[in-house]
Amino acid sequence: MKKSLFISCLLLLGLGHYGYAQDSLSSVRYSFFAKEIPDSLIAHSSDQLPTTLTRIIDEKQMNNTNQVTNVLDAIRGRVAGLQVSVNGINALNAVRLRGTTSLTGGNDPLIIVDGVMGDLTLLQSIYPTDIQSFTILKDASETAQFGSRGAAGVIEIKTKRGQSGKLHINYNGSVGISVPYKRLEMLSANDYRALAKQYNFDIVDLGGNSNFQKQIERTAITHQHHLAFAGGDDNSNYRVSIGSMNEQEVIKGIGSRSYMGNINLTQNMWDGLLHIDFGMFGSTQEEQRIYDEQKLFYSAAAWNPTFPDHPNSSGAWDTYPSASQINNPNVLLDQKDHTSVAHASGHAKFTFQLLPELKLTLFGAYTYNSNELMRYLPTTVKGGGEAKRQMTRSEKILTSGTLALNKKWGEHAFNFTLFSEFQKDKRRGFGVQVNQFNNDIGGYDALAGGATRPWDGTTSFYECPTMVSFMGQIGYTYFDRYSVKATLRADGSSKFGKNNKWGYFPSVSFGWDLGNEEFIKNLEFFDDLKLNAGLGWSGNQGAIDNYTTHQLLEPNGIPSAGQSPITTYSELKNSNPNLKWEVSRTFNIGVSTQLFNSRLVFSASYYYTKITDMLYPYTVSVPPFKYPKLIANMGAMEKSGLEFSLGGTPIATPDMQLTVNANISFQKDKLLSLSGNYNGEELLAPSKSGIASMNGAGFHGYNSVVFQMIGEPLGVFYLPRFIGFETYHELYDLTDYQSSDSYLAGQAMPKVLLGSNISFRYKNFDVTVQANGAFGHKIFNGTSLTYSALTSLPLYNVLANAPESKIISEAITDYWLESGNYLNIDYITIGWLVPLKKKRILESMRLSLTLNNVATITGYSGLTPMINSTSINGTLGLDDKRTYPLFRTWSLGVSLKF
Amino acid sequence: MVIICIIISTTLSSCESYLTDKPKSQITSDEAFNSIEKLKKNALLTIYNYIGGHEEGQGLQGTDRGVYDLNSFTTDEQIIPIRGIDWYDGGLWRRLFFHDWNAGEAPFKNTWNYLYKVVILCNEGIEHIDAYKTTDDHELLTLTTYKAELRAVRAMFYFYLMDLFGRVPLITATGMKSSEMTLCERSDLFYWIYNEFNDSLPYLFSEWSQFPNSEYYGRMTVSVAYFVMMKMALNAEIYTDDDWTDQVYPDGKEIQLKTYNSYENYFIEANAWQTVRAIQNIIKSFYKLSDNYSDNFDVGNEASRENIFVVPMDPQLYLNKYNYFKRSAHYCHGAAMGVGSENGPCATVSTVKAFGYTNHETQILDNRFNTNFYYDNVIVNSQFVYEDDGKTPLCYHPLAVTDFDLSGEEYEKTAGARIAKYTIDAVARNDERRGNNDIVLFRYADVLLMYAEASYRLGDMQNALGALNAVYNRSNYQKYDTIDDDILLCERLKELMWEGWRRNDLIRFRKFHKPYDLKTDSDHEEDAHTTVFPIPADMIVMHPDWKQNPGY
Repeated sequence: MKKSLFISCLLLLGLGHYGYAQDSLSSVRYSFFAKEIPDSLIAHSSDQLPTTLTRIIDEKQMNNTNQVTNVLDAIRGRVAGLQVSVNGINALNAVRLRGTTSLTGGNDPLIIVDGVMGDLTLLQSIYPTDIQSFTILKDASETAQFGSRGAAGVIEIKTKRGQSGKLHINYNGSVGISVPYKRLEMLSANDYRALAKQYNFDIVDLGGNSNFQKQIERTAITHQHHLAFAGGDDNSNYRVSIGSMNEQEVIKGIGSRSYMGNINLTQNMWDGLLHIDFGMFGSTQEEQRIYDEQKLFYSAAAWNPTFPDHPNSSGAWDTYPSASQINNPNVLLDQKDHTSVAHASGHAKFTFQLLPELKLTLFGAYTYNSNELMRYLPTTVKGGGEAKRQMTRSEKILTSGTLALNKKWGEHAFNFTLFSEFQKDKRRGFGVQVNQFNNDIGGYDALAGGATRPWDGTTSFYECPTMVSFMGQIGYTYFDRYSVKATLRADGSSKFGKNNKWGYFPSVSFGWDLGNEEFIKNLEFFDDLKLNAGLGWSGNQGAIDNYTTHQLLEPNGIPSAGQSPITTYSELKNSNPNLKWEVSRTFNIGVSTQLFNSRLVFSASYYYTKITDMLYPYTVSVPPFKYPKLIANMGAMEKSGLEFSLGGTPIATPDMQLTVNANISFQKDKLLSLSGNYNGEELLAPSKSGIASMNGAGFHGYNSVVFQMIGEPLGVFYLPRFIGFETYHELYDLTDYQSSDSYLAGQAMPKVLLGSNISFRYKNFDVTVQANGAFGHKIFNGTSLTYSALTSLPLYNVLANAPESKIISEAITDYWLESGNYLNIDYITIGWLVPLKKKRILESMRLSLTLNNVATITGYSGLTPMINSTSINGTLGLDDKRTYPLFRTWSLGVSLKF
Repeated sequence: MVIICIIISTTLSSCESYLTDKPKSQITSDEAFNSIEKLKKNALLTIYNYIGGHEEGQGLQGTDRGVYDLNSFTTDEQIIPIRGIDWYDGGLWRRLFFHDWNAGEAPFKNTWNYLYKVVILCNEGIEHIDAYKTTDDHELLTLTTYKAELRAVRAMFYFYLMDLFGRVPLITATGMKSSEMTLCERSDLFYWIYNEFNDSLPYLFSEWSQFPNSEYYGRMTVSVAYFVMMKMALNAEIYTDDDWTDQVYPDGKEIQLKTYNSYENYFIEANAWQTVRAIQNIIKSFYKLSDNYSDNFDVGNEASRENIFVVPMDPQLYLNKYNYFKRSAHYCHGAAMGVGSENGPCATVSTVKAFGYTNHETQILDNRFNTNFYYDNVIVNSQFVYEDDGKTPLCYHPLAVTDFDLSGEEYEKTAGARIAKYTIDAVARNDERRGNNDIVLFRYADVLLMYAEASYRLGDMQNALGALNAVYNRSNYQKYDTIDDDILLCERLKELMWEGWRRNDLIRFRKFHKPYDLKTDSDHEEDAHTTVFPIPADMIVMHPDWKQNPGY
């Protein structure tokens, strides 16, 4: 490791000297520092015109970072093609840039914070206020620069640094209160009793009159605080911040608490020859989650309302064993699902300005992560009780070196970059499970209180994947108008077998700065007009686990043999030594312009991506294979989209300013093929296989609603067509569905995404409204289906309007398929910059009031259309008894600058 | 430039070593089979983790939707009626019960995949043993016994494949392409399996598997091999018939089998029925009936001298699960035992009637009824179990399974007698799926009943009655004084209740494709094509040259 790092540095230096000998033209010194470029990206240099539409969102464009609890909320609705799906107040479910890239995994974009690479969890260690800028990389030539990890796009975050000449202390804080305001309308206890009488069925009536949905809710308090110190002079600066977030969810006992810290130092040495950036950030987080969301919300809605909302005389909650798919929600709240996460990372960047046009950058980062999972299911839920603890630790080391040469020769500007990167990610973990507890008091903190430890409850793992990357880039600009950039990246990964260790990811992009052309200038209309196009390859290796390419044996159990137990080993899956990266080939073209003194900004882009060598667990013949699934590279899919962004400042006077930003993106995808002949073996993927299925009473197996079908978009509804109701029971006038054959009834992922942000300032007051929308997709309302079937009475409660509809069956038909279109007003913020007479100590003060989750405009009849419409998993497009109650959050924030 | 080239090449070669990630939680094939001791663990004993199972479709017994369910829910032994909102399950149970299945049923595919997984593991184990180089005589002998044990286990799994699917590919080595595989006819499989057992017998452990300090409990022994051979001989008329839809069967008296006698080292050459009797004569040296029927299923049934082959159970050590009580018991019954139960399977009406259950005061119940069933009022810890209201005592109604769909019926949730058989173990964990009672796969009572049946086929009524009554009289005071097909089949039902042999028995007595219990219409299976399951649909798609079994 060290040896290879050393050698790669030598390599870069060697090449650097080679360049040095040829070149002595001068350029603008330090220009590099004047115009910051993304840390891990070598895309543009000062003399190079951009050939892509990189979206950089700086602090000013971000949403109210002082009040968001989730880092990505700061840019929600700001980036065309970015989908963020959140559950509850803070749980980040999934993030998609330009939709889905893979059927098996690696769909979340690569996250880079100050050069430290990671996945979505990395976002938890950053306090939103600390963010200086986001850079969203999604075009072909941009993602190609991240090679095998770029396919799903890249979100790069830079945290704030100190500035020269000023010493500052900033405090930001807010207090929020979340109030649930809407839940499902189920039969009240009295209606339930009346219905039992009407239809003459026996009920268990314990005399209560409860609304268990309300019982599990609470009014939640959130408060967060952040303190930052910053200062510096011409040659060095610093910024140090600490923050805390305390977030309660609107479900009793659920919430999280985190602490974050961030340090950034920069220093110039030797008259600007060396520039050092040093930073550390870290966080700890304690989180209590809902153990099983679907079971909790299903139970809260469907639990017999005549059961009392308090424990019975013996101190226990009443049970109802025949309602076997649910449990008393109060009992379920006793389940503990606790996570404790610690993250720390340190990074340093040394930039040597070897010559005015030659720069060497060395970067190193170390990241430490520990994640402890603690679960306890009390004896009331699981016979004997069950505790689980799992600990995972990871250490990641990343080093890279970049050598960049910028050279201008009359009207010709060149830019050469060489880059190498080494990465090692050592992960270790273990877990233990204990059953048969003496009592429910200590749970996972009293493991010795449990009597049994099943063999398979003790687990451990180790993995240490490594990656090596080399990249070369050439940029050329002619006459300040035409530029071209070509990149070749080679990635080597330990995850892959000998034959496919290395993947090559080329890209090329073109830019034409029309704004500099005389004929455009003569129009006196455009302030700026740029065209760009790009073509690039990027990869995805997130879809396969470590060692998938190895033929390995793992412990498989203890067979009965002899007096003392022994373990045996076996191969537990088919291995495929020929696995390689999924390859995304993207073409994109875009235009961006500024008009009327930059009062109007517009950009548009189109992309087309074809993904081949798709990793998928194909069905193979047993025999000769031992197991029926084999992960292989075979299938193909395509996706394309159009994105438009529009920003305008219709009013701009010293006292008043109105800014409107909107973006809209159209996206579609299609699964092209998923089978074929692989090394002489026929691989099969069913032409139609279920993705999301209904769960709950009466839905055990064979209840898929959302499917993956060849030749169709990812995630389609394939349902029997509803033709009408037929009378089932004359006496009671009950009805059943009449349906015909299944057909393709729509897609689960939106075709159109909309984001909009409007802000208005009058003197010291400002108002911001943020809205998001998604259109063109459908939602299967499984919640209504389940809670409408009168057959589920009396074990499971039904919707208040179920007796009216008189439906007695739980048949799945398109009767329950609805349009998922919505426009959601995420928040409204009113801010007041308090006018301060004396600014001796307090330099500025801003107060703000925010209302989150303002309103949703939708035709969808369920609780909310904002369910999972982004990730391919068991909940895609399916509203199935797992939606949080709707809540609004009011929060009051203050920002003080000293 | 030269320096640069050297640097580049050095860098790339150092990358190769950097890009190697040596696993630590797993081991490679080179590390797993490089000593006799490791061969024993990772080539031989490893397969015993797959006799039972813990996942759907895995394991010979104890799990759902696998070998056991295909052998039991397709018969009158048990039924899962639709109970209102519960147990429709996409119509699977209905199709199984009414023999209306198709080649695409998931349990067929899963069962096929499971059985072949073990076959392939045996093939690999045998190849690892063959590849081990040694000249030590003692080691060579040890390796020979390991190999014989693997061959016998493989033969047993082929027995299940042949029994369920009729024609399957015979794969005895690794490295074969799937395009090279062809379906082997049922009779060819039969003789191949039989001879594999013969070849293995000289090297198998030949005592009672619980012989003091033996390590062969739950493993392939001489008696286990003989038991399967006995089943094969008993069903030879079925298994040697390559066209099972023509209603013409070979005669057992005409089927000649060569069986190796591992105690006296010679080949018994006899017809199928004589062979059954000859094998019983060998097994009886080591196994005998337990004093009480229920001893074989209690906690601590390791001591049973009757159980020949079991799935060993231990909640802490083994992964094997026993799902059937949980699956069968009413929710309140389960709750009273601290188990989340599912209120599904129960016995059919014709079966409880066979035990003498009429719900009249005059009923004379077979004594095995109490061991096998929960019926009428349910009592746990000497107390009544109540329904959800806490007032109505929970009562199972064995005769109320009058329709496959019980939705809306008075006894929708409580119809049918439920599975008792294995005494519930108080320390069982995971919803009563893992008890301490070992699941019985083969036992000596079956050997005696097979002997009785073979004797009856040979016309030796005296010995037939003797063996039949030995089994019957253990649990009941009465004795049979005559014997016929119905008595034999009925006694097998009662003695082997819930043990998963019912499909095999019904087919042998040519009753599987005839009407019984709620399955009153058998017109679609007159040709008996349903006695063999279809080759799983996916396999036919992946092997276009394979011919599906007749009738599908």
